[in-house]
Amino acid sequence: MSFLNTIQWIVWKDLISEWRTRETISSMLFFALIVILVFSFSFAMDQDAARQLIAGIIWVAFTFTGIIGIGKSFTSELQNDCIESLQMSPVPKGAIYLGKVTANFLFMFTVEILLFPLFVIFFNLEVVEAIGMLLLVFFLATIGLSSVGTLFSALTVQIRAREVMLPVLLLPLAVPVMIAAVEATRGTLNGDPYAFYSQWLHLLVIFDIIFTVVSFWLFEFILDS
Amino acid sequence: MSAIQITNLSKAYGFYRIFEEVTFTISSGSCFALFGPNGAGKTTLLRILATLQAPSEGQFTIFGQDGVAEKDAVRSILLFIAHGSHLYDELSATENLQFSLALRGQKPDVSQLKRALDQTGIGAYGNLKIRQFSAGMKKRLTLAKAILAQPKLLLLDEPYNALDDGGVIITNQLIQDTMKREGAVVMTTHDRNKAAHIATEGAILQAGHLQLLSPEQLQAHVLS
Repeated sequence: MSFLNTIQWIVWKDLISEWRTRETISSMLFFALIVILVFSFSFAMDQDAARQLIAGIIWVAFTFTGIIGIGKSFTSELQNDCIESLQMSPVPKGAIYLGKVTANFLFMFTVEILLFPLFVIFFNLEVVEAIGMLLLVFFLATIGLSSVGTLFSALTVQIRAREVMLPVLLLPLAVPVMIAAVEATRGTLNGDPYAFYSQWLHLLVIFDIIFTVVSFWLFEFILDS
Repeated sequence: MSAIQITNLSKAYGFYRIFEEVTFTISSGSCFALFGPNGAGKTTLLRILATLQAPSEGQFTIFGQDGVAEKDAVRSILLFIAHGSHLYDELSATENLQFSLALRGQKPDVSQLKRALDQTGIGAYGNLKIRQFSAGMKKRLTLAKAILAQPKLLLLDEPYNALDDGGVIITNQLIQDTMKREGAVVMTTHDRNKAAHIATEGAILQAGHLQLLSPEQLQAHVLS
């Protein structure tokens, strides 16, 4: 079977399972809603103050929400020992990894798209002109988080304290992506010229490439160990 | 021709040795039954052959392929029916078959899927989610997967668990079909009566050592 077919089957399986249970997306949305509500009531802000802080709040919500989704990515494979079936399948393990990354990316990006209007409403943001660039920032940062997150989800899935270990291991590595995403989001929301924050977008692209290539290469060893 | 050749295979967890220096050969066209008490290491040995665990020492080949160095080649010719069903609860029976066979590089058409489900007696439940399946139905679905996959090596861990008489007949038919294709079957079982009908070779794994059984010893063991 071709490499692309394997990716398609993994994505199909994860999406159809999620569509039938809605377990991952609903828990991600619920968590993110609480974060938005708590922050919106905690800060009595004017629009300028909101713009300075909102980028960080958005990425705290997106990252921790993403960790919930990423964590479920491989715990679902423990059911009926399905992970053994993945281990024994004679397909390139990199294709399984990319299938999982794609599914995780789709879950995270969907939740981000659903949540962002709530940030706009609760924090009174003006985003009409910046929406295209914001989507690009969300897209690039979500690739980075899902690529490294999927690897650590596979790494921690067999550990008893995996719910604790996943964020403990993942967050230090995700910090560069989060910082670049926060800075690019802040620049976009402030209406800064592209040149002022373009280096953060370039950094996101570099991190995406490094994280995806390294994780792709390491995944086979992790799944087999 | 030998289907499996195992040489000085040992497995240990830390200082605890499960088995040591196990050496034997299984010929193609045969069904090898592995007996032994709980905790003897039967499932561990099967998992090593399935490439899910690495041996601590020793080596093995499956149809000429090195089980440690050529994992992907070995994986493409074996199917392991384990304690876990390897089925996804939210997918239907048909979808589970399509998915697991796709990961083996196979794409059975609708009629082949239907035939395999009918053959295992669950043809009426093809669109039912696995969440609603009983343990016996799940086992039958894994048999349907094996019928479609047609592996050269079939590894069965306690294959008769959860199966009714009809399921046992289907399992034995699958084993016979694999043997007829010059494949090989390795199974662990406590059910000596059921193994008596089908096993052609056998061994007892006990206290870390493997004792091979001659055909006479095998018959005496399964009938004792």
